[in-house]
Amino acid sequence: MRKIGRLFILIILVSMVTIDSFGQSNDKIWFDGLARSYYARDAIGENEQVEDTLSAKNVSNGYNLLDLNTHVNPIEDIEIFAQLRIQNTFGGFFGSGTSVNVRQLRVKGVINKSIRFGLGDLFLKQSRYTLYNDDEELSSFENDMFKPYRDIIHYENFYVDNRWRLQGLQSDFSFEFDRGIRTLEFDLFLTRPRGSNAISTTSYSSDQLLTGGSVISKLTKNLELKSHYINLFEVASSGTSNISVRNPVYLIGLKRLHKHKNHQFESKIQGGFSQRYWLHSELENNVEDSTSNYNEGLFFDFQNNYVKKDSTLQLSVNYRYVDPNFRSAGAQTRRLNFGQELSNTIYPNYTNNFIQRPTSIFDLLSDERIYNQQISSNLMVFNPVYSNALPYGDATPNRNGADLKAKIHPKNKVIQSMTKVGFYRELIGQGTPNKRSFALFKTAIKINMNEGFHWKKELSLSGSYEAEYTSRGGDTVSQVQLLGQQINIALNAEVLPKLFVQLAYKQFNANGNEFLTQRDNYGNINNFINTHYKQKDHLLSAGLMYKLRDDVYANIQFNSWGMSFNDEPELNYNYNRLLFILSVTL
Amino acid sequence: MKLIMNRLLFLTLTIGVIGCTKEDFEGPPINNLYGELSIIDSLVITNKNPDFLNNDEVGFYCKFSKSVAWKIEILGLTSNATKEINGFSDALDSNIVVWNGNPSQVPFFMQEDCSIQLSFLDEADTLRDTISILATNSYENGVWFEDFEDGLPADAVNYFNTDGGLMTFNIANDDPLLGTSYFKMGGRVNWDWSLGRLDLKIDLPQVPVTAENFYINLGILSDTVDLHTGQFINILISESSAPFNDNTSNNGADIFDTDEEVYKLKVPIDWNGWQLKSFKYSDFEPLAPNAVGVIFDPNPSNITGIRIACQACPSTEGNPVCPENFGKEVRTDIDHIIFTTNTALLEQ
Repeated sequence: MRKIGRLFILIILVSMVTIDSFGQSNDKIWFDGLARSYYARDAIGENEQVEDTLSAKNVSNGYNLLDLNTHVNPIEDIEIFAQLRIQNTFGGFFGSGTSVNVRQLRVKGVINKSIRFGLGDLFLKQSRYTLYNDDEELSSFENDMFKPYRDIIHYENFYVDNRWRLQGLQSDFSFEFDRGIRTLEFDLFLTRPRGSNAISTTSYSSDQLLTGGSVISKLTKNLELKSHYINLFEVASSGTSNISVRNPVYLIGLKRLHKHKNHQFESKIQGGFSQRYWLHSELENNVEDSTSNYNEGLFFDFQNNYVKKDSTLQLSVNYRYVDPNFRSAGAQTRRLNFGQELSNTIYPNYTNNFIQRPTSIFDLLSDERIYNQQISSNLMVFNPVYSNALPYGDATPNRNGADLKAKIHPKNKVIQSMTKVGFYRELIGQGTPNKRSFALFKTAIKINMNEGFHWKKELSLSGSYEAEYTSRGGDTVSQVQLLGQQINIALNAEVLPKLFVQLAYKQFNANGNEFLTQRDNYGNINNFINTHYKQKDHLLSAGLMYKLRDDVYANIQFNSWGMSFNDEPELNYNYNRLLFILSVTL
Repeated sequence: MKLIMNRLLFLTLTIGVIGCTKEDFEGPPINNLYGELSIIDSLVITNKNPDFLNNDEVGFYCKFSKSVAWKIEILGLTSNATKEINGFSDALDSNIVVWNGNPSQVPFFMQEDCSIQLSFLDEADTLRDTISILATNSYENGVWFEDFEDGLPADAVNYFNTDGGLMTFNIANDDPLLGTSYFKMGGRVNWDWSLGRLDLKIDLPQVPVTAENFYINLGILSDTVDLHTGQFINILISESSAPFNDNTSNNGADIFDTDEEVYKLKVPIDWNGWQLKSFKYSDFEPLAPNAVGVIFDPNPSNITGIRIACQACPSTEGNPVCPENFGKEVRTDIDHIIFTTNTALLEQ
């Protein structure tokens, strides 16, 4: 414990020093980065109905880490960036728990002051239908209490601005014209999401490459035309399999802006199509190449946005159609991985039968290891209780529907609110001609009482409610009815300058049934598992936050969390956690 | 005008897109997985008086409301012979689900009445019917067969350890698999592996299949009364072109010597009564893989002889491999050795 205390003091000192000194720079080298101290102690909570003598009554873990970003500018137009991670796990003895890794490496620059390039770790995004790292489930309206958890998940998994972190080469350049069209911008990239790996001593997986490009042109002051292309493919010759995936996606879109004195309208229309198939090449006896599991699908999206220029009101109406066979690996890959190969980090098994503990909303919030960084050529497994309407974001296949979003931020800032309503329907049924219907409702409100009473110290109460309802009619065998609801309530009170008392309660309920789909290696549905849900997740938190800056804070919080099953009380669980985080962005 | 054009474009795209909606559905029908079973078309049997000797077949037709694991059981009411046909589907196709008169295992069907039962896994429904067999299969339509009905062939070599007790290497008629005769192989030799062997000369025509599609079938009779737990037979098949048995002093045909192209398969015998066993020729291994000058490349057309050797592990004090079998008798009687192509005898 003394050692842990010393490490805390050391990291605080290092942080204080770095805030001042790392900000300094010279012409050629400068530094920034992040330092974090993390300590969590988990304990089995009260539960009269479940006996668990196989698990430790409490466990603790923690670490100090420093991500030191070194930026070297050997010449004016070139920057070499390296992120070096030094991490020390609490409990390590004389460096045995210490690791030093290169976490990111990149060269970027401008050639001849006109062509920009990046080589190494890249963060790429195109449109929501071609390359987009969509937000994880139940994260739309997070309150300040859980921000430290969310920050860690996003930072550790390289989730930056809905971009996918990829390794490769990227370049962009643009032209400006004084007649005809106004601008013409080009962006091209070639990356390798996955290298060849040894599957066994005699077999190797193939290299997986992702390449794409964008052309965006401002035709007039208010009219923009864009086109995206992306292709995920494997190079069969780099592995021992002669079957390799191909997934090109094409998109074209038009955006029109209407600006008025006090408000602006934006209309977007975009459409495109995808192909996906597996190529069988280099076959024996000089047999010609062939394809299998070929499918193609199209999508169409029409969006209208209204924004009041003072930003007090934003409205958005969106209609979309996504074909059942539309496949876009870059846009449909999920952050949350519900594959069976992953288990929770905290108490992965429980009860004296040592069964795998089901994932709860607390795991979604706190366990960075259940998140995915790898582009997947197949639709990933999802849990319908947390997201059934749009599990693959806007690019979710087999959906036809519309949604409305509204954001109200009055000038006095006393009450801020957001609402989203959506209705979608399947285009074809799954396992039955009857189609599922989905209704989505999300709303959040934040009351800044200090603004109303003109207090200097912050006092805010926030709440949100999210619900998803899925239904499918028809015969009793294939009927579906599933309702998932999440409620969030949080209080944030600044009791001393920069010191906040925080309270939050989060509850999730799921009731009903759904047929889980199982797919083969080529993404074809081969089975349905009728699953019934009657679960309730809860998370109660209380803590203190000392916030020097938005990105420099110390947080200590207590979490009481668990899950209960109405029809199987013997599987209920409860746990407690004490957490300390010191996070310093340099 | 511009506005009208924009709206027209939007309308066209929307109609075009919605027009693409398919009426089908993805994945297997849920009703097949979770629906209740009902019989849409009852069981139909295409031939209720089959003459299997003239290659008649019995077809089965039925249609259900969902795909289900089904089982047809055919029981000979006199012979107690049984045949089981299994499948998973939502219908029985009478062109595919057929019975040609063979049992799943011996005994064979006789000229008799049979009960038919169609049942389903985890379902209470069972459909029943009967048929009457006019004539059974002859089981003689193989590439080559030996049924011992005329005693041992003249050129057969029958050797057994004459020092053993109760040795039975002879033709018997008390309990044949088919016909009236079979060959008894058994006795008691506590001190050695080998009890005896029967070597048969074979002269095959050109066989148009590879070893992968060539089957050696034979009936084997044993019993579990005071069973010798270490008994087995070794089947040797020779492709040697040497004279069958020039040297009459070496207790066996010459073509099975270790410097010839000979293949072997060991078959442990641990059951009671007759069983008809079928073995792929490609599953046989070279008897002496390091034999000088011999290229092991099994070819059914080149088969020149078969040896059935009766063996058991020794149990006496001098050679106690399995002392618990001391004094126990070995029984590995055989009948109806038949070679078939493409399928095993009972699968034909």
